[in-house]
Amino acid sequence: AETMLRSSDTHPDGYPTVEAVKYMGKLLEEKTDGRLGIEVFHSAQLGEEKDSIEQTQFGVIDLDRVSLGPFNNIIEETKVPSLPYIFRSIDHMHKVMDGPIGEDILKAFEAHGLIGLCFYDAGARSFYNSQKPIMSMDDLKGMKFRVMQSDVFVKMVDALGGNATPMPYGEVYSSIQTGVIDGAENNWPSFESSGHFEVAPYYTLDQHLIVPEVLVMSKKTWDKLSAEDQAAVREAAKESVPYMRKLWAEREAASEAKVKEAGVKIVSDIDKTPFIEAMKPVYDEFVTSDKLKSLVERIQATE
Amino acid sequence: MTTFFLILTRVMAILARIALALSGIGLVLMTAFIAWQVFGRFVLNDTPTWTESVSVLIMGWFIFLGAAVGIREGYHLSFDVFLYLLPDRVKKVLHTVSDLVVVAFGCGMIGYGVQLADATWPTTIPNVGWSGGTAFLALISGGVLLVLFSLERLARRAAGLVTARFGEVELPDEDR
Amino acid sequence: MEYWILFGTFTFLLLIGTPIAFCLGVSSFATIAYLGLPPVVVFQRLNSGVSIFALMAIPFFIFAGNLMVRGDIARRLVALAGAAVGHFRGGLGQVNILASVLFGGISGSAAADASAIGGLMVPQMKERGYDADYAVNITVVSSIIALMLPPSHNLIIYSIAGGGRISIADLFTAGIIPGLVLALSLMVAAWIVARKRGYPLEDFPGIRAVGSLLLSATPGLVLVAIIFGGVRSGVFTASESSCIAVVYAMFAIFFLYRTMNFEQFRMAVSDAVRTTAMVLMVIGCAAAFGWLLAFLRIPTQLVEFMRDLSDSPIVILLLINVLLLILGSFMDMSPLIVITTPIFLPVAMEFNVDPVQFGIILVLNLGIGLCTPPVGTVLFVGCAVGKMPVWDVVKTIWPFYLAGVFTLMLVTYIPALSLWLPSLFH
Ligand code: NA
Ligand code: NA
Repeated sequence: AETMLRSSDTHPDGYPTVEAVKYMGKLLEEKTDGRLGIEVFHSAQLGEEKDSIEQTQFGVIDLDRVSLGPFNNIIEETKVPSLPYIFRSIDHMHKVMDGPIGEDILKAFEAHGLIGLCFYDAGARSFYNSQKPIMSMDDLKGMKFRVMQSDVFVKMVDALGGNATPMPYGEVYSSIQTGVIDGAENNWPSFESSGHFEVAPYYTLDQHLIVPEVLVMSKKTWDKLSAEDQAAVREAAKESVPYMRKLWAEREAASEAKVKEAGVKIVSDIDKTPFIEAMKPVYDEFVTSDKLKSLVERIQATE
Repeated sequence: MTTFFLILTRVMAILARIALALSGIGLVLMTAFIAWQVFGRFVLNDTPTWTESVSVLIMGWFIFLGAAVGIREGYHLSFDVFLYLLPDRVKKVLHTVSDLVVVAFGCGMIGYGVQLADATWPTTIPNVGWSGGTAFLALISGGVLLVLFSLERLARRAAGLVTARFGEVELPDEDR
Repeated sequence: MEYWILFGTFTFLLLIGTPIAFCLGVSSFATIAYLGLPPVVVFQRLNSGVSIFALMAIPFFIFAGNLMVRGDIARRLVALAGAAVGHFRGGLGQVNILASVLFGGISGSAAADASAIGGLMVPQMKERGYDADYAVNITVVSSIIALMLPPSHNLIIYSIAGGGRISIADLFTAGIIPGLVLALSLMVAAWIVARKRGYPLEDFPGIRAVGSLLLSATPGLVLVAIIFGGVRSGVFTASESSCIAVVYAMFAIFFLYRTMNFEQFRMAVSDAVRTTAMVLMVIGCAAAFGWLLAFLRIPTQLVEFMRDLSDSPIVILLLINVLLLILGSFMDMSPLIVITTPIFLPVAMEFNVDPVQFGIILVLNLGIGLCTPPVGTVLFVGCAVGKMPVWDVVKTIWPFYLAGVFTLMLVTYIPALSLWLPSLFH
C-alpha cells in the first residue's frame, strides 16, 4: 500500500491478535484501493504496552493492540470490564462489548488522544500452581500468586486470601520452579506458551477475569485521514473481530490439548459463587463514581 | 583563577556533591527495600507490592543524577583512540562540539521530560498511588544538571582550565 | 537516508570522543527529527529503558563488588587460591586464574576482577621473577571468567535486551561450564608459556596452611553459595540475589571481618553510583537507538540478508562471531550487548540457536573484546595495575587470546556446554 500504518503488539508473530491486525491490513488495502495498509511490529519490538500507548498518543505509531489493563489508570471507563467476575462468561462479554456499552467505552478513548476501533478476545484468566489442586477458596489461602503490577489484580488475590506477588513475567517460570512463588494466573494460550504448565501442573478454571483487548488508533493519524478512509479503517477493524475470535478459539483449543496431554490436572467444576461474593471489597474500592456504578449495572443487566 | 571561576567551581562542586549524596542514599534505600521485599515474601508470607515500583523510581534518580555528575567528573565511557592522532588545538574544538551536543541532549531531557510528565500526570502508578508523571522528574532534574555541568566545562575550557575526560585527565582535587 | 543519519551521526560523535551514551541518544534524536516524528519518543525510551526491575542487579552487584574489594574479602580469596594451586608449573599464574574463578563468582564484573585480583597478584608475580607482561596477560584474559560465572550482570543486560523473556536463572546456570572450560584452557596456556620461559614452582604450603586460609576466606566463599543456593532453592529470584549479595557483604564486612569504617563505606557507595550511572545511561540511550533499529526494520532486513548469504548455521554463527569480535575490539561490552542483541538474536534463533546459548556466546565473545586494543576496558585496567604500556602487553598476549577464542568456538558449536546444566533443573 502507499501508506503503511505502523501497529504495535506485545505478542509474538502468529498470535491471534497479531494475525487479526495483519488481516485487517489486507481488508483495509482492498477497501482503500491500496491507499492504506498495516505493518505489525510484534513481540514488543517498539516497547511494552504502557510505552506503546504513550507512543500512540504522541502519534509516533499509528495503531496499537493492547489489553484493557494498562488503560485502567488512564481511562476510567476501562476499569469496569477489567473487574473480576464482571462478565458471567465469554458469551456475556461478547454481547456487552459488541453492543452499545462497548461503543460507549470505545468513545471514551477519544478524550485521551486515541480512537478506539474494536475489541479482541483474551479468553478467561484462571489460577495455576505447583502445589495442589484448588477446589475451593480455602485452598487458595496463603498461597503466593504472581500477578501483574496492577491494583485490581493485587486487591483481587488479597480478597481471595492469597498472597499477591508482583513480579516481572520473565522470572515467573523459574520462580514457580524453585518455590519463590506457588503459582500465577493466566489464560490457556499463555499458560501453555510460557511453559508454566511444566512447573505448575494444577490449573483451576475459576475464570476470575475476562478482560478484552482493544485496538486503538492515534488521533493524530486519524485526523489526517479522509472521512472515507476513516470509515474504511473502522469497517476493517470490525470485520477483523470474527476472524480474530475464530483464531482465538483454535489457539485456545490447541493449548488446552497440549497442556492436558502433558498431564496437567484441570479442575473445571469449581463453584464460583464464593469467589464472586469475595469480590465485594474490590468493587467497593474501584467502582467509586456514579458513571462506573451505572456501567457495572448496565453490564450486569445485559442478558 | 578569577573570582568568577572560584565561585562557579565552588557552586558546581557543591551541586555535584549533593547529587552524589542523594544518589548514594538512594542506592542504600533501594537495598533496604528489596531486602524487605524478600523478607516479606519469604518470612512474613505477605509480599510488599510497592517495593518494586518505588525502587525502580529511585534507580532512575541515581542514574540521571549520576550521569550528570559523570559529565563533570569525566567518567563516562568514550572512544578516545581517534583523538590521540589529532593535535591538541583540534582536540579542544572537538571536545567543545561534544559538550554542545550534550547540552542539546540535556535540553531535550528537560523539555520532553516536562512534556512526558505533563501527559502522564493524571495517571497513577499501580500499587504506589503516586502520579505517573513523577516517573519523569528524575529525567528532568538530570537534564538540568547535565546542562549546568556541560556549560561549566565550556566555560572552563574557554578560560584555559582543565576539563575531566574518561581515561585522560581528572578534575583537580580542589575543583571536585 | 535515515540509515545514514542514524549510523553517520553515531560514528561521527563516537570518533570525536562524545560519551557513548550521548552518541546513541543524539543520533537517535537526529534520526527521529529527520523522519518528522515527535522526538519525545527518544526520551520516553531513555526513561523506560532504565526503569526495568531486573536492571537493579547492576547497581547491586557493582556495589557488592566494591564492598568486597574495600572490605578485604578479595585479598583473602587470592591467598586461598595461592595455597591451593601455587605448586603447579607457573604457579602464580595458575593462582591468578583460580582466584578469578573464586572472585569472579562474586563480582560478576571483569573490570572489578582485573583491578582487585591484578592489584594483588601482579606485584607478587613480578617480585618472584615472573615477567610483568606474563602477569598482566593472565590477569587481563582470566577476568573474562567473571563474565561467565553467576552472577553476571552482563547476562542480565542480555536477557533484557532480548525482550526480557529469556530466563536469567537459566543464563546464570548456563555460564558455569563454559566459564570453567575457559579457566581450564587458560591454565593450559599459562602452563605452556611458563614451561617455555622456565618459571618457578611454588612450595606447597601444607594442608594445614590451606585449611587456615580456607577458614579465613570462608565468609567470601559462602557468598557464592548463598547467591546460587538462594536462587535455586526459592528464597529469592535471580535479580533479587544481587541485593542479597549486598546485604550479605555488609554483614560480613561489618560483623565478621570488621574491616570497614564509615568513610570507606561512603566511598564504596559513591563509586558504585558512579559506575552504575555510567553503565545504565548507556543502556537507557541504547533503548532509544534500539527502538529506531526496530522501527526502521533493520534486524528483519539483516536476517533476510544473512539468509541469502548462507543457509548453514555453522557459517552464520562464524560470521556473527567474527563481526562481534571486530565490534568488540572497538567498543565496550554493555553498549554492544544492548545494540547487537536485537539485531543478532533473531538471526541466531532463525538458525535454531537457543537464546540461552547465544547469550553465553555473545558475552564470551564481547568479553574477549574487553581485552583487545584499541578499546579494551579490562586491558587498560590490567596495564594500569601492572604499570605496563598497552603495546608491550599485547605483544605476548596471543596464547591467551587463542585460549579464549578456542573456548568461544567450543561454546559456539557444542550447545550442550551451555544447555546441559540448565536442562538438569527443568
Ligand atoms: Na585473574
Ligand atoms: Na577491545
